[in-house]
Amino acid sequence: MRHTSTRRAARHCPLLRLLRVLLTVAAALYALLFVVFFFDLDGKLLYYVVEPLLCRHYDRMERRNPLDMPYRTDR
Amino acid sequence: MKLPKTKADVKKLLRDFWHGKPHGERRLGDLYADKTGLYKHREWRGVRDTFYYFHMVWLYNYAHMVTDIMQDGGMVNFAKGLWRYRWMGQTYLPVLHWFDRGLEGLRGEALRASAWHYRAMVCVSIKQLMDMFNADAKLHGGAHNDAWQHNIAHKETVWGGVFYPWSDQYTNVPMEMVPFFITCHVNNHTAPHYIDAVQSIGLPGDPCTMCQAEAGLFVQDDIPDYAPFVVTSNEACDGSVASTAIEDWFLDLPLFAMPQPMRFDDPLVQEHCANEIRELWKFVEEQTGVPFNEQLLCEKLERQNALQRFEWEKWDVAAKTPYYPINSVAQALYRVYQTQYGDHDIWHRTDRKISRIMAKCVERKIESFPLTRHRAIAWSCAPLYYSNWTTWAYNCWGLNVVINMDSLMFDMTIRTDNLDDCVLDMARYHEWAPMRRMTVGGMQHIFELWDYMERFRCDMVIMYDQLHCKSMQGVSGLFEDEFRKRDIHAIWIPHALADKRTVSRSEIRRIVNDYMTTVMKEEPLDPSLLEYDDDMGW
Repeated sequence: MRHTSTRRAARHCPLLRLLRVLLTVAAALYALLFVVFFFDLDGKLLYYVVEPLLCRHYDRMERRNPLDMPYRTDR
Repeated sequence: MKLPKTKADVKKLLRDFWHGKPHGERRLGDLYADKTGLYKHREWRGVRDTFYYFHMVWLYNYAHMVTDIMQDGGMVNFAKGLWRYRWMGQTYLPVLHWFDRGLEGLRGEALRASAWHYRAMVCVSIKQLMDMFNADAKLHGGAHNDAWQHNIAHKETVWGGVFYPWSDQYTNVPMEMVPFFITCHVNNHTAPHYIDAVQSIGLPGDPCTMCQAEAGLFVQDDIPDYAPFVVTSNEACDGSVASTAIEDWFLDLPLFAMPQPMRFDDPLVQEHCANEIRELWKFVEEQTGVPFNEQLLCEKLERQNALQRFEWEKWDVAAKTPYYPINSVAQALYRVYQTQYGDHDIWHRTDRKISRIMAKCVERKIESFPLTRHRAIAWSCAPLYYSNWTTWAYNCWGLNVVINMDSLMFDMTIRTDNLDDCVLDMARYHEWAPMRRMTVGGMQHIFELWDYMERFRCDMVIMYDQLHCKSMQGVSGLFEDEFRKRDIHAIWIPHALADKRTVSRSEIRRIVNDYMTTVMKEEPLDPSLLEYDDDMGW
């Protein structure tokens, strides 16, 4: 009887509830990161999505043509 | 995967889960996705080592790749640099895959020690690229800010140590160390782009691909404008002089060329070389207005000497015991990076960690590479696009590349008791630069191979044949004669340094496989690694 009321009090304690939520979120995040790590999902995202997008951007960039510069040797 | 049928099967399954599969049963080649070299899943190394890798390599390094940026200049400059420079975007992001490739199959102390080497290289690379981006006029509307005023640009083959006298006020940043050198190792798609760029303006395809790619960075306007003057050199060979001419043209900055003699054993040449360094110091004084600081030079050189003394300890353990915990690729890259860039806190912090790990291995007699069948020494320049082939060679064949030429080049400390001797030693150090002393520095240095072979108790030579270097300027025949005379097993590995398209990574593996099966008549430790297609991989 006494145990039950202690447990009920704990359930209503906002600090403990917050702690439980934080622990649950941290555990879920940890598990998610481990899945990303183990199945090389970071590598797959970078290889199939990020790198091609970046390369397309670099290919389209306007660049100065250094060949237009005179070669000064008087410095 | 087969389901366990007997009690023994269940026990084995649990043992493999807890400790990881023993070498020989791992089938690491089955982990690769076809062509891309990505992993279907990362290696299960047993509970302890998998979670060490997850926490202390993967999470730790991703986290530090962010915190280092925050510490060295902030996210805004980093994002601008990432958006502006191809070498940055293509290289920075897949860094963890570079760790994966180099550290495959490692367990226990070897995993820890080798990963700390990689971490140090990433830390220094971030510092360098942030030093560039913080100052880069191309990212700051053409403005030459305070960081720009306090940077010194130099070719990656100029040893950073010559700038120690100004290191309290100025930061020396090699122009191509991250944009070219590190890039090749991390993502081999990048360098060919710059090689093609320089060939598109008429350069023939046969010069060294290092010089080609470095010049290509300038042709593509892909080098930050981060310093008011620049220092160049003829190292490693005259190919660098050619790329320097292009860099001089496109940089349009005050430039000091510091050519170092290739044949450097003559004492008169030594004096000349020391004078070149003194002339450089005058140039830096003129450009910065800050006088030469001898005390600072000596302090920094002493710190660098401490790194060298620890390196000698490492060599002793590698040469005299089977307890050396650092794998070949970590040893080679860390050493060449450290010696060329010069003193930095991270090297000292890393060496302290390695010292503890190495002491533990020696005291407890921990053999990190227990299935070593051959102790090999690698000579000449390694393929930058496949520096981790040595990791593959151990996992597949038990071929342990114990030491390599890149590690052995700087076998000296520098005297600091008087300036004259100090400059002479600095000149010698400069002359012993990467790809200089033991490749183009004369036969007596090229054939130092035999002494080192004996010292490190090696029974096999991995002889790199850098095609654009014409196989060390054509000395391959002399080596062949010596190998026959001395009855040494040697595997020639042709490559084009930075360009993966000439000799692919699978071709390198095929050459080693052929030698091991036909000449050595051995069976692979891991047959799944014999053949796989990773041509499109990073």
